[in-house]
Amino acid sequence: MAPERHRILMVSDFFYPNFGGVENHIYYLSQCLLELGHKVVVMTHAYGNRSGVRYMTGGLKVYYVPWRPFVMQNTLPTIYGTLPIVRTILIREQISLVHGHQAFSTLCHEALMHARTMGYKVVFTDHSLYGFSDVGSIHMNKVLQFTLADVTQAICVSHTSKENTVLRSGIPPEKVYMIPNAVDTAMFMPAEERPGGNEIVIVVISRLVYRKGADLLVEVIPEVCQLYPNVRFIVGGDGPKRVRLEEMREKHSLQDRVDMLGAVPHASVRSVLITGHIFLNSSLTEAFCIAILEAASCGLLTVSTRVGGVPEVLPDDMIVLAEPDPTDMVQSIKKAISLLPGIDPQAMHERMKKLYDWHDVAKRTEIVYDRALKCPNQPLLGRLSRYLSCGSWAGKLFCLVMTIDFLLWHLLKLWQPEEDIDKVPDFVIPTGETSSAFDQELDDQSSS
Amino acid sequence: MNESSIATARFTYIHDRKWPSAAIDVHHVIVRQSNLKGLLVCLLAFGFSANGLYLFMVLDKSPFALLWSLLLSSILLKLGIGKSVLKESVMIMPHFGVQLETHYKSGRISRRFVPVSTILKPLLLEHVNPVTSYWVLSLILLKEEELTPVFKELHLPLKMLVPIWKELCGSVSGDNDSSVHSNVEDHEQSV
Repeated sequence: MAPERHRILMVSDFFYPNFGGVENHIYYLSQCLLELGHKVVVMTHAYGNRSGVRYMTGGLKVYYVPWRPFVMQNTLPTIYGTLPIVRTILIREQISLVHGHQAFSTLCHEALMHARTMGYKVVFTDHSLYGFSDVGSIHMNKVLQFTLADVTQAICVSHTSKENTVLRSGIPPEKVYMIPNAVDTAMFMPAEERPGGNEIVIVVISRLVYRKGADLLVEVIPEVCQLYPNVRFIVGGDGPKRVRLEEMREKHSLQDRVDMLGAVPHASVRSVLITGHIFLNSSLTEAFCIAILEAASCGLLTVSTRVGGVPEVLPDDMIVLAEPDPTDMVQSIKKAISLLPGIDPQAMHERMKKLYDWHDVAKRTEIVYDRALKCPNQPLLGRLSRYLSCGSWAGKLFCLVMTIDFLLWHLLKLWQPEEDIDKVPDFVIPTGETSSAFDQELDDQSSS
Repeated sequence: MNESSIATARFTYIHDRKWPSAAIDVHHVIVRQSNLKGLLVCLLAFGFSANGLYLFMVLDKSPFALLWSLLLSSILLKLGIGKSVLKESVMIMPHFGVQLETHYKSGRISRRFVPVSTILKPLLLEHVNPVTSYWVLSLILLKEEELTPVFKELHLPLKMLVPIWKELCGSVSGDNDSSVHSNVEDHEQSV
């Protein structure tokens, strides 16, 4: 039996031209799903002048909806404001399933809410770990509880992330799948010749912020430089903690041993990685950490803090783990330096090719979609009972929000009936006969 | 004279080909008035205004309540009844140009003539705004940075835009081909 072709709408505030883990995940997953024969459309907010419909590689269609971001790239939350545009896109693209990404994305939460109201199946992928005790996390977890109360399936990028999501949101664990991220091994290849000589280069590429452990680096780097005169550091990235690293460099006179590159474009990350022998990751929290995959793919031995999902990512012989403490990290760097002679970058790269592949991620995600679409539909009253269990007052509030959304949806159906919304013709970017293929699709569309 | 038409709940499209030998192509799109919708909108607007007046004059509430009610009523009337457009027309005169017309209920007619030599390409595009997305037929014109929409006021369904787009493409490409041929001939003669 031929596999079913799905029509997927990916929704997130985080997409190209922004660069990051979530953005890359959505892009690579979408490309691989297109190769598997599915239709994928992405919905995100406008970035500056980048507004409207754009087509990316492989015919990936992106709606840059002109809702301006208001803080940290997030769309202003209006609860019901995005209902008309989400409905329009779902109808005109004839979407069968909505896939939202990232708990911090307001557009994702609103789109999933509206999609459930309209009876679509929804899948949610959580890319980050969050706390439980601070005000921001409490608020975020409540919003997540609301969204995941009625989600069809959920995906997490590591077992640790799955535990964290289940505890935060109360979603039944049997609804949550674990599908790790992957790395484009064709882009991240080791250098033909490993950097030689007596010098050992340790590379750090990350945003220089608190949660990425920049404060740990301030203490670790001088100590390692003192213990090993032949060690040099390359630090790529920018952020509020950069000043602290610059001060450390000045204080210990390490200008010739610590290179600060500033922000490194993603396209240039590989060229920085292949100049090093060891990759250092000092994050205080990570659901997965694609950065260490990229480093391992380039043949670097990784030293990382043992936090979140990091221990699940690489085999033991490719990574040396340390507690997020300067002394332990220095010990781990010592151990890594002693292991360096036994490291073969090409062999490491070949192993990474087999371990992590975006096509594998896409096939596993396809299974989740198949299962989501087989789940039965529930009427509004049945769905409202799930929201009531979210809390004594929060549950009632969530029910009210969903009921109003349902009523607004019906008003919208009267104001703009589905028949008035044109369906977009399906076409794959062909090689050669572009205009005739499109003309045929348009003729079929206009005659229906 | 050949005529064909397509009708939807909101628009009627009429394709009129005059003088077959000259083949002037006329495309009209007429707005169909919805009496029930207009009546409901008027009633709602009247209700808001009456409520505002009652609050201000009988209950002695602040005049801002009346102002807000009147503002809300005017917005409702503007959105519900819509722009006062009767019809929009496109007249394609091969080797000459394209005339774009908008006829308003007030009797005003807005016209624009676009010479065929300035039309680089007619395009069918998807337009996205914060609340919806729809197809738009536009022209890329020489020396103009902005696209020129063929239909200024109306958002037409794709099945009405496609035949107009095809006629425009045929008219523009035919004229572009003949101008290329004449340039080549001029070049050969000069050599």
